[in-house]
Order: sequence, then structure tokens, then C-alpha cells
Amino acid sequence: MSWTLAAITDAGLVLGVATMVCGLAGIGDDNVDAAVFGGVGAACAVLAALARRRVAPPDRPGPGRVFAGIALLWTALALFGAVLYAGTGALGRLDDALVESVAGFTTTSLTLLEASEASRAVLLFRAATSWVGGLVAILIAVVTLPAVLRSTALIGYTSGRRGLDLVPNATVGTRRVMVLYSGFTAACVAGYLLCGLGPTEALVVGLGTASTGGFTGRADSLAGYGAGAQAVAAAGMLLAGAGIFVLWWIARGRLRPLWRSQEMRTYVLLLAAAAAAMALHSDTGLGEAGFMAVSMMSTTGFAVADWTGWGTSATVVMLVAAGIGTMMGSPGGGMKVMRARLLMGSAGGELRRQLDPYALVLVRRDGEALSGRTLDRLGGHQIAYVALVAVGALLLGISGVSLAGSVWGSVSAVSTVGPAVGEIGAFGRLDNLDWPGRLALVPLMLGGRMSIPPLMAGVGLVLGWYGAAVRRSRFTARQAVLGLQARSESRDGDG
Amino acid sequence: MARHPSPAPTDPLGRGLRRGQVASTTLHVIGIALSAVSVGMAACALLEALTTGRDTAALAVSALVTAAAGGLLWYLTRPGAIRKRHIFSTVAWTWVFTTVIGALPFILGATFAAGGADFVEQVVNSLFESASGFSASGSTVLADFETPGRGLMMYRQLTHWYGGMGVVVLAVAVLPFLGVGGLELISAEAPGPSSDRLTPRVSETARRLWVVYIGFTAVAVLAFLAADGFSSLYDAVAHAFTFAATGGFSPYADSIGHYDSVAVETVAIVFMILGGTSFSLHWRAVADRTVPYHRNSEFRTYLLTLGMASAVVVILLWWETGLSLGSSIRAGVFTVASLGTSTGLSNATGPGSPGDYVTWVAGAQLVLLFLMVVGGCTGSTAGGMKVMRMRVLALLMVRSVQHSQSPRAVIPIRLGRYIVSESMVSRVAGFFLLHFMLVLGGTLVVAALGGDFVSALGAVVSALGNMGPALNEAGPTSNYAVAFSQPARLVLALLMVIGRLEIFPVLLAIMPHAHRAKVLWRTIRR
Repeated sequence: MSWTLAAITDAGLVLGVATMVCGLAGIGDDNVDAAVFGGVGAACAVLAALARRRVAPPDRPGPGRVFAGIALLWTALALFGAVLYAGTGALGRLDDALVESVAGFTTTSLTLLEASEASRAVLLFRAATSWVGGLVAILIAVVTLPAVLRSTALIGYTSGRRGLDLVPNATVGTRRVMVLYSGFTAACVAGYLLCGLGPTEALVVGLGTASTGGFTGRADSLAGYGAGAQAVAAAGMLLAGAGIFVLWWIARGRLRPLWRSQEMRTYVLLLAAAAAAMALHSDTGLGEAGFMAVSMMSTTGFAVADWTGWGTSATVVMLVAAGIGTMMGSPGGGMKVMRARLLMGSAGGELRRQLDPYALVLVRRDGEALSGRTLDRLGGHQIAYVALVAVGALLLGISGVSLAGSVWGSVSAVSTVGPAVGEIGAFGRLDNLDWPGRLALVPLMLGGRMSIPPLMAGVGLVLGWYGAAVRRSRFTARQAVLGLQARSESRDGDG
Repeated sequence: MARHPSPAPTDPLGRGLRRGQVASTTLHVIGIALSAVSVGMAACALLEALTTGRDTAALAVSALVTAAAGGLLWYLTRPGAIRKRHIFSTVAWTWVFTTVIGALPFILGATFAAGGADFVEQVVNSLFESASGFSASGSTVLADFETPGRGLMMYRQLTHWYGGMGVVVLAVAVLPFLGVGGLELISAEAPGPSSDRLTPRVSETARRLWVVYIGFTAVAVLAFLAADGFSSLYDAVAHAFTFAATGGFSPYADSIGHYDSVAVETVAIVFMILGGTSFSLHWRAVADRTVPYHRNSEFRTYLLTLGMASAVVVILLWWETGLSLGSSIRAGVFTVASLGTSTGLSNATGPGSPGDYVTWVAGAQLVLLFLMVVGGCTGSTAGGMKVMRMRVLALLMVRSVQHSQSPRAVIPIRLGRYIVSESMVSRVAGFFLLHFMLVLGGTLVVAALGGDFVSALGAVVSALGNMGPALNEAGPTSNYAVAFSQPARLVLALLMVIGRLEIFPVLLAIMPHAHRAKVLWRTIRR
């Protein structure tokens, strides 16, 4: 548990500070909310700092323990947010608060909050949850998993060799990631400020852009903003979807690896193709189509128009873009461009093997040939991803969502996008869903955010606890029965 | 000096060729398949002449043309040595030729001329109907069920029957001298990741499969007659063809709903489920006089899946739509059996009736969509991905998660008592990925050619799984001609053939051409 506790205390420290800042920024708007957020944030930060001193993580925790820890970490973050939303009265029902919190931390642009009625502190906290969620996601993918796994065993979940440049060791890597991520966020916020947005709005949208969270201060996302702000959002989403490695290369002025990266080229190509296809199959212009293509593929979920009426083929393109998702090391979700590319290579290899079963077919990642076992594993994770989407759609369908809304909602939630065709709509509103539908989205968002291995490890952990509890209760019951029998026998003997 | 006579021409196996004869397994197999189809056309022409007589000429001319084409190909060619690549192209081209020639009776009989359709529309619809028939899908563009004669409607049913077991299997059965590549040909056409070899001789295996298929059809005829009160032999034969092939066509617009009879629906459920079961198991049951079904783990999973899906659908119908429990069970179980076996028959008596599943709640429709993907057992006539593949995929998923936690662990995948080879696991994973990509790409194309998202997704899943009716606009009481544009219908027809041959043969038949085009493009660029 010590690895899990260390991770939770680290995240708690960052989250506590962020919450405290939200509280401080809220002073003068709604002082009660500001006091609650400030107080809770400060308490959380202090407690986390104190606990951090006492918890020493083991040197080399096993992958199973780390995955279970990751699952617990996301759950703890979600519960923290839910308690705050419910505690401040921003959302009256605890289940609604949980949905809002999970949407925030998983960087899914789904909401129940009325932006016009929420206080400044609440709006900032909602944006901060997605920012912290994005940071945690990057650190897990770039720092934690490569350190724990020390191999390409989880290709597609870890950064591979290119990670060595950015993350020579955990401490330096964490620091660099935090600096890059914060710097990128600051650049986004500055861009919005220059485009004329107010400080609070710029901060909210900036945090939503850098983290691919997609929250804004308005009900119609970015539709009401000027062209300048929309251009900043598009550029920010493009970079956020490209991931921390691209930011690192840009910061170092190294453009060669940027161009040579297969993943980067595929990402840009897919974006261009999606934008062109959407412009071709709808009445909208290339600008709006391009914006929505970036928004979907980076899994941010910003919208500049109600795109759900753009025509079936355009929306199917968006669905595919959302399903593919971002590059490695991005806070965004989806299947990931690299994984999609490797899976296509694997499928092509299997076709060739049909002709010649003994053919040596190599699938490479940035020049590195991958073993068949690794590809099988990747295929297995892909199957799990599809199964998660299928189960999600079924849950949504059972809870009363329409057929199109169920499929779209499930893909969108698992890819951590948010907006969807159907009941959810282009601006990610959950008002049209009943409570079972909203709650059905919670495991989907968490599952999509965690990725498959931690999700399964988390499920395994819960099942393990349940099994242990059942065994313990059976043992206790048996003991009680034996005790009763012994007592009755002794009573009979006395009689 | 005496001149030596030039050696007589031989095929690649060294056998002598007649004058004008060429060695080509592909053309030879196509010839046999077309000849076999022409026999069916001729029989239907006779039936047509004896009954309604409206389409006798169309069927007779089609039979003659098909017999001539098939006979010539059969006579002028001889099977040669088959390379792996040619096996796939042989199977793919046989299906393409059979589908195209099989559309002739519909074109000549002007079956789709209703509503003033132009010639192109008629040709497209005929090709679609033929592809749907031979691939045992059951999707239809036929709106007018009254005008075509009984012979033509029986031919429509017969296309299912031919396609169910497979025209290539039929060719191998009548071609004992094919020798090399026979098993590969059967495997390339047969549904499922592997095919059972019932006897040492491949042609004997193919013959036995056809024998059990014919026997199955005969039993289905008798059962249907008994359930329908011995009212119509024609109906019984027509539906028996559908049950055996898990097709989906019916001579009536409202399918099984036409009878509105619990007895008929019960017989249909039983035979649809048996049609979705491996025919090798049926053969063993008959030959060994045992009941091998319960010992087959795939069959157990198949029944479990159908049972669980039925339970979920019935509960959802009862709970959400306000139907009575009896109606829910009747509509739910029949539809699950129909779509879970990739048959596609419907017991809807009209739009909005309990069996019209497009009006059901989304959860129930999603269960049906899942069943469309899963399909029946390996070695059956059913479509879909097959239960065995789904089990392997589920186990692969679990194993990859186990590997994530213990990267060096050696974890074999077991099906029952057997360990699945890694090459098979890899093939199944590759099949899943290609299937997934085809669903995505197909939905994108069909949506781009006109059609809403749910209809496009449902139709593509249905076409690849050889299901028949799909969702929304393409539901059981609807018609593909109304739901989709001409190009979309052609795409769906192609997907049906791809789905029937389980993706690999068609893609591999295209691959060499794609490779050549790639090389040519590179040369031009240089």
C-alpha cells in the first residue's frame, strides 16, 4: 500500500494547493465558497505534506501493485472532488457531484453545473480538477509506468525509448514534466488574455485547453468567443494532443525528432484527413471543421457550433477521431495514435501470414521491431477497450439513452471527450440523462482515463477484497456455528 | 535424323491436357459452382412453369446461360497445382462469379421493376439480392412479394441454401481428383478459424458435410410441415432452406410473422439454433449415434450466450416497453435466436408489433447488435465472428492483463481441454482487428453515401455478420432499397461477400493487385 499512499499524498499535495488557490481567487465573488475551497485546500495540502514524510514507497513495487494503486488514486481524487461539490452546495445530489468530479479529473468535458450560476471558486475548481487530472495522467504514462515496467511490456502505455531523453530518472522527469505542463498552461492562459478574455475566463479556458479537459466559463463552450480565442484554443489543443514529448522537443528547439516521429506524422495526417472529410461532408467551412477535428482528436471537447447536426458522415468521422485520440504522453484519452498505427501494422502482418505462415513480419515503432508477444498483448488491450465501450453502450442503453446516444456517449466517455451526438449534445450537458445514465458514465470515464491494465487491476483488487470479506464472514459464521454447537453439547452434558 | 515429337501439354501436376484445355483451378472451380447453380435454376424454372408461370422464361434462360458458362469452364479447364495465394483468389472469384450470374433471374424477370425503377436500379437491386442470398444474409430490397412467381421466389430461397454450406465445398465434393489444396479451399470458405476434417479424404469430408446438410434440410421440411398443419409443402421447403443456411429470406414480406403461430416460431427457433451449430457435430451425432453437443465447449458457450441474451432482452421488454410477459418472451426469444444465429427471420406481424425490434428500447437493441457481431458456432452455416473466436478474444484479453502484471508469465489459452496454438491466437486477433476496421470503414462509407448513423452501423455489422435485417431504417419490417442509396447497397453487397468468406480471402485476392499498383506507382514516381 505504501506506493499507493505515496502517490495519493503527492497528488493530494498538488490538488490541495490548487484548491486553495481556487478559494483565494474566489474571494470577493462568493466568500462562503471561497472559504470552503481555501480551507479544505489548505487542510488537504498540509495533511498530504505531513503524510508524505511518513510514507516511504518501496524501491521496486510490482506492476500489479502499481496498477491497483493507480486505480485507487483516481478513485480517491474523484471522491475528494465529489465531497467538495456536494459540500459547497454547487451540486445538491451526491451522485451528481461524483459525476462532475469524475468528469473533471478524467478531463472529460461533461457537466451538470450551470456556468452562469456557479461561483468563481467553483468554476476555477472544476477547471483545476481537469488540470490536476491531466498532470497525473501524464506523470503516470511518462514517469511511473516506464520506471516500474522497465521494458516495452506495455507498449502503447509507456513512452518507450524516447522517454529516456525527457525522463532520465523519476525525480528529474517529474520536475521537467511539471515545468513543461505549467509553462504550456501559462502560455495558453496568456494567449487567451491577449485575445481579450477576462482573467477568470482565461484561466478556466487555459486550464481546460492544456489538460484537454474542455471546460469553459460558458454554457455554449467556445461558440461565443472571438476568432482569436478560438485560434488559440485550436493551437493549444493541437499541442496538448501531441503530448509532453512534443512540448519537450519544441522547448529544446529540436525539430528533427518532431518530424521524424512516425506518431507525429500520423497524428497530423489523421487530423488533416478528418478536417477535410468533415468539411466535405457537411455545410460547414474548413475552419470550423478543422477546429472540431482537433477538438475531437485531442479529446478536449471544445465546440464552436452545434456540430451534432452536421450530417451523419461528418459526425462518424468525429467519432473515429475521438476513438483514436491523442499521441503518447498527452493528457488526452482515446486509443492513442501509436497504438492504432501498431494495430493496423499487426493486422496487415496477419494478412501476409495467411499467405505464408512462416513469414517473418516485423511491426516497428520508430524503427524498433516489436515482438509478437508484445503485439498480442496490445491486441488484448484493444479488445478490452472495445469491450469497455460495448459494455458502456449497453449500460447507457439500459438506462434509457437512445441507441445513437448510447454508442456515441460510450465512445466519448471512454475516450474522455465528453460531447456526443444524442442526449448529451455538442456542449456536453448531462441534464437530459437520468441518474442511472449519469452514473453509468462514471466507470466509463474512469476506465478510459486509467487505461485497461490499471482498470482491470482495480477490478481485481475489489474482487479480491470482496472474496476475502466473503471468506472471512464464512469463517466467522462457521466459528459461530461451531461455538453454538459446543455450547449446546456442553449444556447437554451438564443436563 | 528422326525428329522427336513435341511432348503433349500437361498441367502442373503432370497430367495430360486435352487440346484447348488449360490448367486453372480457379476457372475449374468456378465452372463447377456455376453448373451446380444452373441445376437449381432449372429446377426452379420447372416449378415456375408448373405453378405461376410468370418467370419461367427468365429462369430457363438464366439456367441455360449459367449452365453454358459453367459447363464450358468446367470442360475447358483442369485443376492444377494450387499455391496458397491462388486458394484465396479461387474462393473469392468463385463467389464473385456466382453472385453476379446468380443475379440473372432477377434481372431477366424484372423482379425489381416495381415503382418504375430504371435498369441500373434493377441491376443494383438484383446484385444486392443475389449477394444477400448466396452469402446467406437475408437482407432484402424486394418490396413487392406478390408479383414474382413461385419458382423465382423459390430460387431466391435456393440461393441461401447453396451459399449456406458453400459453393466451393460443393465443388470440392464433386471434384475428388482436386488433390492438392482441397482442405485449404474448404478452410478458406468455411466459417470459423479452423475446419474439421471428418475423413482422411477431403472430397469425402465435403461430401459428408453436404449429406448432413441435405438431411438437416429434409428434417426441417418435415418439422415445418407438422408445425404448420401440413398446409404447404412449398412454404416448408422455402423456410427449410433458410433454416439450414441460417439465411433469412422468406417468401412472405412479414417473414415468419406471416403465420402468427407459436408452433411455427418454436420450430423456427429450434432449427435456427441447430443451423448455427457446427455441422461436424451433426455428422458425429448421426454417424456415431451419440449426442456430442454437450461435450462441445463452444456449443455450451453458444447456448449460454443465447440464453443470457434472451433473459436480458425479455426482462428489458417486459420492464421498459410495457409488453405482457408472454409477448415479451415470444418476441424476445425468437428475435435473439434469429439474430444470435445470424438467420434474420422476423416474427413481427407489422411495423410497431412486438417482434419489430427497432421499436424496442436501446438496451435491447444493443444486445441484438452484440449478437450480430458474435454469430454462431465454427463449422456452422451461421455468420458473425463465431463463438469460438469470441472466447479466444476474451481469453486473450484476460491474458494480456495478466501479462501486464506478470510480464514473463507463460499463460496458454485453453478452450475446454485443448490449448490454442499461438499462431491461431494471432490469427484470431488479426481477424478481430480487420473486422473492427471494416466495421469502422464501412460505417463511414455507408454514412457518406446516405443513411443515418444507427442504420449505417447496423447495416454494416449486419452485412459483415451475414445477418439480414439491421437497425433503424433497415429493420425487420423495412427494406434496404428505401434505407440506402444505390452505391451504399453495392458496398453492403460487397461487405456481405467479404463477411461470408470471413474477410481474408477477399482481401488476399485484392492484395497482389494492390501490391502491383504500389510498385507501379513507385516506378512512376521515380
